[in-house]
Parts: sequence; structure tokens; C-alpha cells
Amino acid sequence: MTRWVVTVDGQPTPVEVEGGRDGRYRIVVGDRTLEVDARRTADGQWSLLIDGVSHVADVVRAGRGTRVDIEGSTYVVEVEEHARHVIRTRGAAGGRAGTQTVTAPLPGKVTHVAVAPGDRVERGDPLVVIEAMKMENEFRATAAGTVTEVRVAAGQAVNAGDVLAVIQ
Amino acid sequence: MSRIAKVLIANRGEIAVRVIRACREQGLATVAVFSEADRESLHVMLADEAYPIGAAPSTESYLVIDRILTAAKTAGADAVHPGYGFLAENADFAEACGAAGLTFIGPPPAAIRAMGDKTAARRIARDLGVPMVPGGVDAIASDAAAIAAAREIGYPVMVKAAHGGGGKGMRLVRREEELEGALRMSRGEAGAAFGNAAVYLERAILEPRHIEVQILADAHGHVVHLGERECSIQRRHQKLIEESPSPFVDPDMRRRMGEAACRIAKAAGYVNAGTIEFLVDAERRFYFLEMNTRLQVEHPVTEMVTGRDLVREQLRVAAGEPLGYGQEDVGWRGAAIECRINAEDPFAGWLPSPGVITGLRPAGGPWVRDDSGVYEGWTVPRFYDTLLAKLIVWAPDRDAAIARMTRALDEYRVAGVRTTIAFLRRLVDHAEFRAGRLSTGLLERLMPELTAAESSRQTLAVVAAVLAEQEHGAEIVQPAPTTAWRSAAQPAWRSR
Repeated sequence: MTRWVVTVDGQPTPVEVEGGRDGRYRIVVGDRTLEVDARRTADGQWSLLIDGVSHVADVVRAGRGTRVDIEGSTYVVEVEEHARHVIRTRGAAGGRAGTQTVTAPLPGKVTHVAVAPGDRVERGDPLVVIEAMKMENEFRATAAGTVTEVRVAAGQAVNAGDVLAVIQ
Repeated sequence: MSRIAKVLIANRGEIAVRVIRACREQGLATVAVFSEADRESLHVMLADEAYPIGAAPSTESYLVIDRILTAAKTAGADAVHPGYGFLAENADFAEACGAAGLTFIGPPPAAIRAMGDKTAARRIARDLGVPMVPGGVDAIASDAAAIAAAREIGYPVMVKAAHGGGGKGMRLVRREEELEGALRMSRGEAGAAFGNAAVYLERAILEPRHIEVQILADAHGHVVHLGERECSIQRRHQKLIEESPSPFVDPDMRRRMGEAACRIAKAAGYVNAGTIEFLVDAERRFYFLEMNTRLQVEHPVTEMVTGRDLVREQLRVAAGEPLGYGQEDVGWRGAAIECRINAEDPFAGWLPSPGVITGLRPAGGPWVRDDSGVYEGWTVPRFYDTLLAKLIVWAPDRDAAIARMTRALDEYRVAGVRTTIAFLRRLVDHAEFRAGRLSTGLLERLMPELTAAESSRQTLAVVAAVLAEQEHGAEIVQPAPTTAWRSAAQPAWRSR
């Protein structure tokens, strides 16, 4: 068995690959288990047969990322050996279980802060509204918890990656 | 009215490019204006001259009337085209242009005031006996007044910006406890987008169709309509796909809607191109919604089926020429569809995606039109709306137009920023869209299905990437591509 961590859009997902004889694999992606019959065709495309349905993927490795073109959509993913990923990310912020660090995914201006430290929030509760590209984008809690930190105020400009709030 | 020789375009992005193109074809000189964030933008490069008008935020550049008028004076322009958004529906701007001796390519200030103020427009329609959605004709003074008004109208209600358009500042409210939050967000968006935070309420008709009528009026009292556009595919009240004709409208309904639209335009003393928006319920009853006193984003679908260049018509009318044709001369042929290619991620809550466009390959081929404001290597600024380009197709009938749009979306490639392309491709191909069973609620209803399909594709991409990594040893690593997807050895986005 080989173990990997694949990052798509900054979201790491653990992947386990078993088998490989005659191109037949059992692959666990996050919480999904797939039986895959995989063939690499002569021109470098991957033919994946899953549950009797055939899919064709174009895979091009370029620099750190891998670009996969599948059914009209293009994904840029990063594939890393599991052990290497663990060493690289050990001690990184936000890694503690049960802690949600809410970051700004894009630059903009905070127009509204809906929570204060000590507030109890449920999954889906609005936390912060950021105006960017003429739209107000509401950011919500991804899990229930207690707000331990609010690092922004209404009217403040934020950059991508800035921490907005921490929920425990 | 006077001759026009040199036009300043008080806008940016694809619409500035669109107007520059029409001016060029009419032999008119063009003047662009730009903010610090748009110094390298396409409209700046395509215009004959370009002038800086301030810092990146639109409140310090594209919304500053004095700076635009100064640029017009410096350039010796004799006319101003406002595009859409920014100052396009600002009567003070139209008036200031006139006072500065410039021809405003749009309606007279009085007509903008009458129709641009959505509450005044509702009064005009009411007095003409045009059917309207129940609701107030006045802006809401306070939260308490809003609560009282909403109780009288009956929930669900729609909160709308009195000076708005383009869906900004608009919120659906199903229950009283949601009203306060919706008012706050609407006022915030309306204030930021239009410089006026006034909002009003009307009854929300659930799952209606949004169908609008294009009108053209000259300064000699002639008004014609150019038929309808169906714009029911929306998210958060922002249109995403538009088409003409509407698959729901028959010739009789088109005639009745067109007549109502022309009557409203005449009553407002309207001149130039304008659009009357209607909501249409399942029983084909139509209700006046508002008038947009400007060129619409989706004007190309009307151009494609009528064969008339709306920006050219705007320039002619502004120069004082008569339309030169009547309603009986307006005909429609085939079907046209427009898809909006926005820098947004539909699968991540429609989050805007500013950044560098590292790869761009627009669609082409017969009856495919790319109204774009971007180029490869350009950075999508974070200060303005997300519209990158409009992809428009024409075909003899709706089915053929859908097939052509599907093909064109398959071809259209943008790398570096997230776009709506893959999402639109799935949507256009969906059975509900193909069948023409459209409503403003359709997109939201299809979201879970489209998102699940996307999630499955992403899982497949992960599987393919891991298998390729495992076989790494046996594989020849591609040379680093020269752009996002091109490489000398193997084009990754090949056709199949």
C-alpha cells in the first residue's frame, strides 16, 4: 500500500492506494473508497474504469503541481508522499484538533463582523462579511464551537490568507 | 444635438472594448479613461487615447465626474458613452456632460431621473396601467418602516436598491427576522455600488421568469422595441445566461410586452437605448419590474437575432439622427445565447477569483462571438466586478444554439483564475435548460446536483494524479510549459 496527501485548492486529502496487479486498484480518497481499473494509454492519457463507467484523464506533471484535465474541467493538484507531508506540516498553525482558523480567501474590505470572542456559534452561522469585487461575501462557521479570537474589525482591509477569527 | 467625432468611454472592461469597437466602425475617435489598477487593461490599449483618472477604487476614479470631464476636455472629446454600471444611470453625470458641452450617449437627465429612480418608475408604470408586482413605490425610511411595509405587502418580500441594477443590493426575505440583516447588506451593497443606499420593498414572486424588452427611441418621437431577452438563469440576482428569443414568449405575448415597454418609454420622455424588465409568472402574466436607462450587459443576444448594432444605434440617436425604421421593419431570426464568463468559483460559494490570467484561449468558429475585456498575462484587479468576457452564439434555432454554446464553452480556456466556464458548460447541457423550463430559482435548485458532479470529477482527478505519480519512474516528465497549458511536447487541452 502507498499513502499520499493530495492538495486541491489548499485542501489536503489523504489517499491510500492498494493493489495494482493488472491495473486494478483499491483507492481510498478521504472517506470514499473506489475500485479502479486504470490503464495508461500509449499517448499518455489515463483511462479509469470505475463502477462500469469509463473516464479519460489527461495528466501533465509540471513543476510542483500536476495538471489533470477531466471531462472539460482542469484541476491543478499537488501530490505528496504521506510521510513527507507529515514532516513538512508538523507544528503548523491551526493543526490542533477542534480548532477552526477562518482565513480570508481573497483580498477585500471587511464590512461586517457578526461575532465576538466568547460567542457560541453553530455550523453555518455567519462570522464575517468581506466586500470584494463589488459583492458582499459572507463567511460562515464550518463547525460548531466557541469564538476565541476575532482579529478583524469592520472597515478594515484584509489580504488573502489573513486570519479573520479562531473558533475552538 | 450635434455631430459626434470623438467619444470618451467612461467605463472599463469588456463594455469599454465593445463601445470602442462600435466607434471605430463608425469612424469615430475614441478616448479611454483608466484607474491605477487598469493601466495595462485592454480598453486602454485599444483606444486612440487614454487618460488616468485616479486610484484603483471606483469611488476615486470611475465614479468621479470631475475627473472624467477633465479628461474629456483635455482630449477634445465631444461625446461621452457611459457603458453600464458606474455613472451610466447617474442623472447628475448626464447633466454635467451637457453643461460641459458634451453629448451624453444615453437618455436625457430627466428620463434617467424618472426611470432610474426605481420608485418613481413604478409610479409611472402604475399610472399607465402596466401590471406591477405589489409593493411600495417609495424608498424605505427606517427599519421600523420596512417591517411595517413588509407586513402590509406580505412575505416573502424582495429588498431592492432604489438606484440599483445588476442585482446588487437585492435580497430575498422570507421571514421578518431576516429583514434587518437583509436591509443592512442591501444598503451596504447599494451604497458601495451606486453611491446611494436607498432601498424599497416589493412582494417576491417565487420562481418567476425574468424577461426584459429592449427599446430604442430617437429624439423625434419614434420608439420601437427589439423584442425580448430571457435572463432567468441568475444567482444572487446576477444574470449568468441570457437568450433571445425567450422559449416562453409567443408572438402575441411579445407584441403585448413590447407595446407596454414602448408606452413606458414614451411616458418617461425616453431617448436612446433602454430596457424594460418584467417578471413573468407560470401563467404567462408579466409584471413591470424596472427600467434600465442604459445599454445592458446582455445586449448582444438582441443584436444577434435582430441584426442591429445597438451601440451604433446609440451613437446615431445621440447625434440627433432619426431611427429611420418603424416597428414593422424590426424582425427576428434564429436564436442567440450569451454566457457570462466571470472570475468566480461556482463550486466555492461563487467566491471572486482575482489574479493573473496565465493562459487564455477563447472559443471561435462560425456564429461565435467573444466580447472580452481581458488578455493573457493580464491581472484581473480585485476592485471591480468579476466579468471577464461574454460568450455569445447564434444558430437557426434554440437547440442548435445550445449545441453551439456547449461546443464553444468546451473550447474556451482560461487558466490562472477560477471561472464560471465549466459550470456554464454543465448548466447549458442540463435537461431543464435544454427543455427551456427556466426560472430565476432554477440555478439554486440545480446547485446540489451540479456540485456533486463536480466533487466526483475532482475525486477522479485526484486518483489520476496519484496513479501518474506512482508511475513517475517510468514516465517522461514534460518540459515546463511556456504558458499555463501549452508545452512544446504535448498540448494538454487537446480535443477528444
